[in-house]
Amino acid sequence: MPTPIVLTVNGQRRPLDRVPDSERLLDTIRWRLGLKGTKEGCRSGECGACTVLVDGVSTLSCLTLTHEVDGASLTTIEGVAADPVGRNVQEAFARAGALQCGYCTPGFVLALVGLLKERGADASTDELLTDLGGNLCRCTGYLSIARAVSLLQREGE
Amino acid sequence: MTASPRPDARPKLEGSAVFGMDLESPGMLWGALVPAPVAHGRLRSVDLAPARAIEGVVAIGAADLASLLPGSSGDPDRPVFPTDTVAYRNQPVAAVAAPTRELARQAARAVRVEVEPLPVVSDLEEVFPEWPGPSADSSPHVAAHVRAREGDVEAVFRTADTVVREVYRTSSVHQVALEPHACLAEVGDGKWRVRTSTQSPFGAREDIASLLGVPEESVVVEGTWVGGGFGGKGSALLEPYALLLARAAGRPVKLALGYREEFLLGRTTLPSVIRMETAVAHGRIVARRVRLLLDVGNALPGRDFATGFAIGFLLGPYATPAFEVEGYAVRTNKPAFGPHRAPFAPQCAFVLESHLDHVAREAGVDPGAFRAAHLWKEGDRTPLGQAVGPFGLAAAFEKARAIAARWRAEAGPDHGVGVAAGFWSTGTGAGGEVRLLLQPTGLTVVQGEREIGSGSVLAGVAAVAARCTGLPRDRVTVAYETTARAPFDSGVYGSRTTAVLGRAVEEATRMLFADLGRRLGLAEPVPRLAVAEDEVVVVAGTTRRPIREVLTEAERTGDGLVATGRHYGKGGTIDERKVEAGAFYPFTDFTGAAHVAEVSVDRGTGTVRVVRYAAVHDAGTIIDPASASAQIEGGVVMGLGTALTEEALWSEDGRLLNAGLLDYRIPTLGSVPPIEVTFVEGFSGAGPFGAKGLGEPPIIPVAAAVALAVRDATGAHVTELPLSSERVARALNLL
Repeated sequence: MPTPIVLTVNGQRRPLDRVPDSERLLDTIRWRLGLKGTKEGCRSGECGACTVLVDGVSTLSCLTLTHEVDGASLTTIEGVAADPVGRNVQEAFARAGALQCGYCTPGFVLALVGLLKERGADASTDELLTDLGGNLCRCTGYLSIARAVSLLQREGE
Repeated sequence: MTASPRPDARPKLEGSAVFGMDLESPGMLWGALVPAPVAHGRLRSVDLAPARAIEGVVAIGAADLASLLPGSSGDPDRPVFPTDTVAYRNQPVAAVAAPTRELARQAARAVRVEVEPLPVVSDLEEVFPEWPGPSADSSPHVAAHVRAREGDVEAVFRTADTVVREVYRTSSVHQVALEPHACLAEVGDGKWRVRTSTQSPFGAREDIASLLGVPEESVVVEGTWVGGGFGGKGSALLEPYALLLARAAGRPVKLALGYREEFLLGRTTLPSVIRMETAVAHGRIVARRVRLLLDVGNALPGRDFATGFAIGFLLGPYATPAFEVEGYAVRTNKPAFGPHRAPFAPQCAFVLESHLDHVAREAGVDPGAFRAAHLWKEGDRTPLGQAVGPFGLAAAFEKARAIAARWRAEAGPDHGVGVAAGFWSTGTGAGGEVRLLLQPTGLTVVQGEREIGSGSVLAGVAAVAARCTGLPRDRVTVAYETTARAPFDSGVYGSRTTAVLGRAVEEATRMLFADLGRRLGLAEPVPRLAVAEDEVVVVAGTTRRPIREVLTEAERTGDGLVATGRHYGKGGTIDERKVEAGAFYPFTDFTGAAHVAEVSVDRGTGTVRVVRYAAVHDAGTIIDPASASAQIEGGVVMGLGTALTEEALWSEDGRLLNAGLLDYRIPTLGSVPPIEVTFVEGFSGAGPFGAKGLGEPPIIPVAAAVALAVRDATGAHVTELPLSSERVARALNLL
């Protein structure tokens, strides 16, 4: 029987029982915690739609076993607004119209928040865009997403 | 950035938008499909016993349909599960449901499927290595045959100055909506209810009713947020299986594809071989012959739409006095051909533009000027005899050529610039209806479509309603209802939604204003609404009356003042005397674009990089500028995938070899060039205020513009899509 684990999810302590060893963090978040804002795309690390923050680091939840992150602090799209960086990113995406169908959007937002936290205010737009290159979007053609990133940078200056 | 945020930005940025993949219901089971193990064969047996032996598993196959659907036979041409022949690999032959997704997959794997293999036809050129003769009509591989002509092409060819004959090949491309197909079904009280990620709730309802053989009124479809459609979610795919499982289990059943399955089961664009022949005399096109072989996979004979439609895009948008066109829809052991953003038009534009560019070079005339001189303008007739309506393609092409000339002057070595035209017939012929509810706080447009991301519903329809009524945008809400309550609409496809629902809003507004005029005792309809002191008022002359004073008590406490509107447009007509076989289709609105691509080509590897891009569109009157530009940027980038990297590869035994996002490569953030978007104005369309559809046109000229830029840079004339490094390297004799 798997051991119980504890996650801090968007600031709330969430003890979890009977999580199978093979359960992916993506499924724990969506079906056990009921946070469907984290999206399932390819389930194989190719699209980035399932990106969340694990202890502040952007992480593909489809390639992460829940047991691997026992004790960690998670941020999902539902909790991203609690942080000023998260709120700024959401605001920049809204202002730049950097979304269409919205399915890749939570993954992009979390990936960008993770990058900003990792790299701080010094990161250039180009660096950020290079590092966002693993997130796929089929609707926007990425240019509005790039504009959202440059809006953020301007505000940071 | 001054534009107001999209109306759907908040739920999508906060994670509260519920997509089909996110659906959940208490006590639900997870479904899974049992795939056919070969691409063609005789079905010997489907043994569900090993799956049913697993605790909690429900399994259904063809033999269960009689008890699940008493008194109904469904659609005999499209059985839910095959009974004798497997027609493509992974075709669902049974379905299972279980309390967890993992258990459902285990149960699906436990089903024993025995198929006696039959020869697989995976490549249409196996069926017709040469252009087919007259006996082809009786071939089981022919799903449709179309033919039309004007004049004596052979005679003109004999006397022309130049005759150019070429063969082109195009690849299979997938929609790659990021959200896989997903739905949640519940059956009870005589109703088949399904919540689903669909571009067409009413289309899905019709499909489900037909496939299950049940009355349409017994089927209720509720659309969810849609994580990308691009044509792939326009008709029912998973819904019938989920509903039958829910019926068998007596519980709700969720069915969601994994991404690999999304590739394997998706109905999308399949390969083609296109023969183009053009004769020129005195610098003018005098005759053309077009021969199309289009792979339509498991499309049913008699139900192919693509071939006749495609021929129109291989002929036009160029004046052609004499022509012979012929096409065959060729059945192979693949899932059926299905719509993919402007179905097959990007491939047609690639072929037509590359060919006419080549023809001009062979004839010794300027390729841009040659095409410009033949472009249709308003008042011309298409080769098939339809009158061309307001059409800004020639104007857009001139603008694009000017941009190209500027870029070419600046281009460095190994850079090249291409200009390509493309056109589209937006689907304003497929009708729709809306219901307006006017309340003291604002106006609600009730309709039956969910926003798929283009903005056509939430931004487009709202913008039209605001413009029709005079109300500010923030006083207009677009509301969704299920097929049980919404007024009918055909679906979010064909670049039609804002245009058709917008026209329905126009009509409903007329009804509303007439009603308000009567209530105020005026001889005429009221001219407009406004907001004063935070409430909606009727403006008539110098008087302003609050809406609440005009409504009855029942209206004030209920839905408000109700008005309905509908729009069922119609297309033009073609000259049927030119048609010798099959069906061709008139266009409903002439929409066009001219694109400019600048590329750099690696002379060592053949790798093409698009360094800048310009798109000039005729979209009639622009209803919502932010959504319009966003559609063009997104469509261009999707087109760059078709141009350069996207190619679904099928093996000889009918396997899709690259069913995943690493091996089937769509554009990524780092590969996207800057895109300059402009419009030509003054070419009024069939939509509200003269709008034309814009969802599909932006993808159409892209592959053509890139191919011509590669030719400009290197001289390489690539006649196959995509322009992968390998193909370009071969054309440069590097391989």
